[in-house]
Amino acid sequence: MKNIAIFGYNRLSYEAINRIDTESHRIMVFDYKPANIELALEKGINASMTEFRSDEDLKAIGIGSTVDTLFCCLDEDSENVFLTLSARALDKNLQIIAIIENPEAAEKLLAAGANKIIDPYQICGRKIHDMLKRPDITDLFDHTVFGRNDLNLAEVVVPEHSFLHDVHVSQLELSTHYNLVLVGIINKQISDQMHFVAEEADRRLNPGDILVILGPSREIRAFKKDVNDEFCNI
Amino acid sequence: MLSKLMVYIAYYLNSSDGYKKGKSFFYDLLENPHSRKKRIFDASMIVLIVLSILLLIYDIEHEDSVMGGYFELAILLVFILEYLLRGWIYSDAYKIIIEEYEKALYLNIPFKMTALLKRVVAKDLEYIASYFAVIDLLALLPSYRPLSILRVFIIFRLFKLFRYSTSAKLFADVLASKRYELLTLLVFTCFMVFIASISIYLFEYQADRSNIANLFDAFYWTVVTLATVGYGDIAPQTTGGRWVAIFLILVSLGILSFFTSILIAAFSEKMLAMRDSRTYAELDRYASFIIICGFGRVGQEIARHLQRQRQQFIVIDKAERNILLAKQLGYLAIQNDASKNEVLINAGICRKASDILCITGDDVVNVYITLTSRHLNKNIRIITRANRHENVSKLYQAGADNVILPFEVAGMLAAEFLGQPVAFEAISGILQEQRDIAMETVLVAENSPLDRRQVGQLDLRLRKLTLLGVISANTLHLKHKNKYKVKHRHFYFNPEQHFVLQQGDMLVVLGRKYGIEHFRSQMEQPRLLPKVRT
Repeated sequence: MKNIAIFGYNRLSYEAINRIDTESHRIMVFDYKPANIELALEKGINASMTEFRSDEDLKAIGIGSTVDTLFCCLDEDSENVFLTLSARALDKNLQIIAIIENPEAAEKLLAAGANKIIDPYQICGRKIHDMLKRPDITDLFDHTVFGRNDLNLAEVVVPEHSFLHDVHVSQLELSTHYNLVLVGIINKQISDQMHFVAEEADRRLNPGDILVILGPSREIRAFKKDVNDEFCNI
Repeated sequence: MLSKLMVYIAYYLNSSDGYKKGKSFFYDLLENPHSRKKRIFDASMIVLIVLSILLLIYDIEHEDSVMGGYFELAILLVFILEYLLRGWIYSDAYKIIIEEYEKALYLNIPFKMTALLKRVVAKDLEYIASYFAVIDLLALLPSYRPLSILRVFIIFRLFKLFRYSTSAKLFADVLASKRYELLTLLVFTCFMVFIASISIYLFEYQADRSNIANLFDAFYWTVVTLATVGYGDIAPQTTGGRWVAIFLILVSLGILSFFTSILIAAFSEKMLAMRDSRTYAELDRYASFIIICGFGRVGQEIARHLQRQRQQFIVIDKAERNILLAKQLGYLAIQNDASKNEVLINAGICRKASDILCITGDDVVNVYITLTSRHLNKNIRIITRANRHENVSKLYQAGADNVILPFEVAGMLAAEFLGQPVAFEAISGILQEQRDIAMETVLVAENSPLDRRQVGQLDLRLRKLTLLGVISANTLHLKHKNKYKVKHRHFYFNPEQHFVLQQGDMLVVLGRKYGIEHFRSQMEQPRLLPKVRT
């Protein structure tokens, strides 16, 4: 169970909250404006009042201890920068995602310690461009992976002592055993680049490899369960 | 009998393709402002006119040369031909005949030749009396050598030059647009000239050392002074005359500055339109392009991507700041209101535009532009941005093909990233083609080797491609499981080995760009059919 803290309730965070898988994530929503909290409560989101400027308050909600991911979704870029800086000081390993309004704020947020920047306008522009260029693929992803249909993207880490250890990629046959498509493999220790499965059929899996898979959530759950089961063998 | 023949000919012409083609060819050549032919024709006519004028001037100073005579004759023939052709395309006589004839049939009255001829001749006279036609006709005259007085009409040949360049027309338009102000000024100036001429005449006539001997001298002096030229050949000698001069000089300064300011104002108004028309002319050269309405953050991002891929586009925005930015970036841009029919038509929505993006920050404006575009062009693809959820259905209703909510898209991505950051980065990298790995579709075309083949038989692994699924509208596939509805089609995820492909299906494959390209080129060549089938 991962803990996600979301700061700032607005249209964007509302969309995000709605789409996060609540089975494997616990979401906490905070805001410092009473009006926003009321709006969130109207929509059935349990938001609470917290002053992001105070380190004590941040510690109290679990930053530096229980919170794994922080989503800075406040309205002003300067507020997000401040929150990012404070949170990074409290926790070196926290995953911080921030949205920006003005593109100039991107550098500042990265310097303040954010892991990922989300620029809504840039994303929207890119999306429209995708629609112009490849309407079929864009439609497909909108309706499946990003949409309400049950086709999801997932990442599965190969643990120590798993049946996956030392298995050739070509032997995995996820598409027949699980109805999953293996897209690629990433090893964070080596690089962030994804190794593309079809090109590396001879590759053997090592602990720490992350498998990027696509499929229905039931199959993903089944696969994850089997991977973590030391005695399972397929 | 004659009238019957005419009606017959008119109907024959009306149904004749060759006649219409010929007419439209000459229309393109002579009148159509969007055609290339006209541009070439105009340029060659300008060259011809300049040559003919040089020749005429040479002839004035030298003996008439024989070669020059032939050349002049050739030019004359071209001019006459042009004059007649313009008259021909000016109106459609056969249409008038048919109209009159059908009217007569309908009302059950005899078909009268006289009324018909009157209408046809009236139309022709209308052409002959038109401004440029008169100049064309007068420009023919200096070719007649025996009467050297006709050489004065060379002037009209010079005027004819204006016909072929747009700058002269622009100047005339500018003057015409300020007709009222200019007329007022002219009337005032006339009064001033009249008063000043009379006064200087009264003071200076027969005065000592005065040069003003008659009313014309007084008039000449007034105009020269009023225009602030002041040659000095005539100067007032009496005190009264000098007072008139002082008064006239002060007033003339006012008149001149007023005149200049009218012209400048008119030009600066026209300048915008002129720049726009240049932009439109540039657009005309592209085979297809995209219209972007709204150049905010989203528009800038799209433009950047399109520019990188050498896709042609035009930006329309109301805000001067945005247009300045677009121009600085080297994009084609027009500062205007995209919700006006005229603006969109000028931008080519009915001609070569393939898509239109309505992405202003205001949903009301977006709905309006969407509606206007759909009304103007039934087939264009409209992608619209909605800023509020409740407006999405309105935009679809207005005729949008796709509606995008910036906050929804960003929220969606944020959620994906919060859930599985590593996988998400990988897949978005592929979708955005940051590396040379791409996800693309391959169509099962008619006669393609893929048609009616089983998925298991495709040697995709050898080709280093991963098959994600098949997009299809074919009902034959509906029995398969793992199907997801995507608009009017289905996406069959991870199809089984015995999934049989049908014509019109699309394979969604993941692989290196050149790998996919190679696969596609092989599958789209029916010649390889027997080889692959074995």
